[in-house]
Amino acid sequence: MTKHDWRIDWRKAVMALVLCTTLAIAGCQAKAPSQFDQVQKDSTARNATPAVAKDATKGGEFNQFFPKGQDGYERVYTQEKKGFAEAKLKKDGKELAMLAVTDTKSLPAAAAKFANAKASIAGYPSVDMGTTQTSVLVSDRYQVKVISKAPTFDKDDRTAWIKKFDLAGLSKLK
Amino acid sequence: MSKSIFELVDELPTGGTTIMALNALDFVIPGQWQNLTGFTNTIRSVTGESDEAMIQAIGERAVYLYNDEGEGYQRAMWLYQTVDNAAGALGMAAMANKIGQDVSFLGFLDNLTPKPEKVQSIDLCIKLVVELVAYCQINGIPGDSVGDFLAALGDYGGESLMRMVALICFDGLIPLGPGFIGKGLGTLNNMTPNDLEKNDTFKSVSSLIPGNNSGDKLGFIGQSFDSVSGWMTGFVDQKGLTQENVLGNLQKFVKISEDKLDYVGAFLDISVKYYTHTGTQTLARRLIERAVAEL
Repeated sequence: MTKHDWRIDWRKAVMALVLCTTLAIAGCQAKAPSQFDQVQKDSTARNATPAVAKDATKGGEFNQFFPKGQDGYERVYTQEKKGFAEAKLKKDGKELAMLAVTDTKSLPAAAAKFANAKASIAGYPSVDMGTTQTSVLVSDRYQVKVISKAPTFDKDDRTAWIKKFDLAGLSKLK
Repeated sequence: MSKSIFELVDELPTGGTTIMALNALDFVIPGQWQNLTGFTNTIRSVTGESDEAMIQAIGERAVYLYNDEGEGYQRAMWLYQTVDNAAGALGMAAMANKIGQDVSFLGFLDNLTPKPEKVQSIDLCIKLVVELVAYCQINGIPGDSVGDFLAALGDYGGESLMRMVALICFDGLIPLGPGFIGKGLGTLNNMTPNDLEKNDTFKSVSSLIPGNNSGDKLGFIGQSFDSVSGWMTGFVDQKGLTQENVLGNLQKFVKISEDKLDYVGAFLDISVKYYTHTGTQTLARRLIERAVAEL
């Protein structure tokens, strides 16, 4: 092999290496598109609306309106954040449902869905979502929702447990 | 930019050392941990929902919540990831310390060389505190009383409980032996804020540990570890956990040759990222539960 040939081979090798590296880097960067790409972009934009409204009610203020554990039912609080409180409803150690109060100030669309509500529970407009959720809107602002976690816990159970919340008390919350 | 929550959940591994090591602990809490991966898959599993439009709406709200930096979710993720990485560095140091020494298996289990044992004890305590801090970042402080809060902690299940089992087994029993809780408490009691500041694991997460200075932070770590020590002791007794049965089960899943058993603790530190893995699963579950409630 001549010196000249060797130099060409060397350059070829470097070129090949550069090409491979470029492809590898490009390959790493090319992500499969996701159904959540748009919301990721929207929620991380410089002027994005925060997920939780600044003036949302503190989650801790909702606790007092939750139904208490009774008749073998156990209530375990699980989350308490601004504009949101949630508890788990259990019986015999088994998870039956989630009980939640949320402030729709952070998510006006959640309140808007009650505009066309055809049903009501304890005088408050009520809607069902999917097959596992029933909720009411109190004072056009606070959503009280019961979500089934066990198949035996049906719509009637959800309605009954919504009634066990102190909805009148919640309606006076400012 | 840091990764999105759906990428992090989509990229959770379905196999590898971490998963094998966690599966090896199934005997402690049989069937309670399934390796749930994939973002939409997690939404389906957590909510029982099959309607695609609903799954999209839940996922979008969860992404929004995660990306709101004021909500604490990203801090919790950072804590889980950071404490795993710091432990990895510790494992490397412990491994280096073992090289060139001919120590019997039992000798290693009974007593690591003094320095690694002290470091491992601190690591155990800090990891536990990280769990408490991350818990509060994710869930707030649920309920109105200490009793409510303890009930919330007592309700640990699934991947959260598996993380605690792994902490007890991989960071307690295996490296420190059956007296691991006493060793943790003893180390903290004999420690000065100055000692704490020199610890790499502490350094990596200290900014998020409550307290104005290292003295306060040391106090918080001590109180936290002390308050959970009763639960841990009870759990170890109730489940009949020993170094032997944990190692025995581990060997069914992770190949550890007999002559390398004394490297187990260091090996686990380096290769098992159980905080990041199960922490991501916990975070995704809580975000999804909140998103469903808010929609």
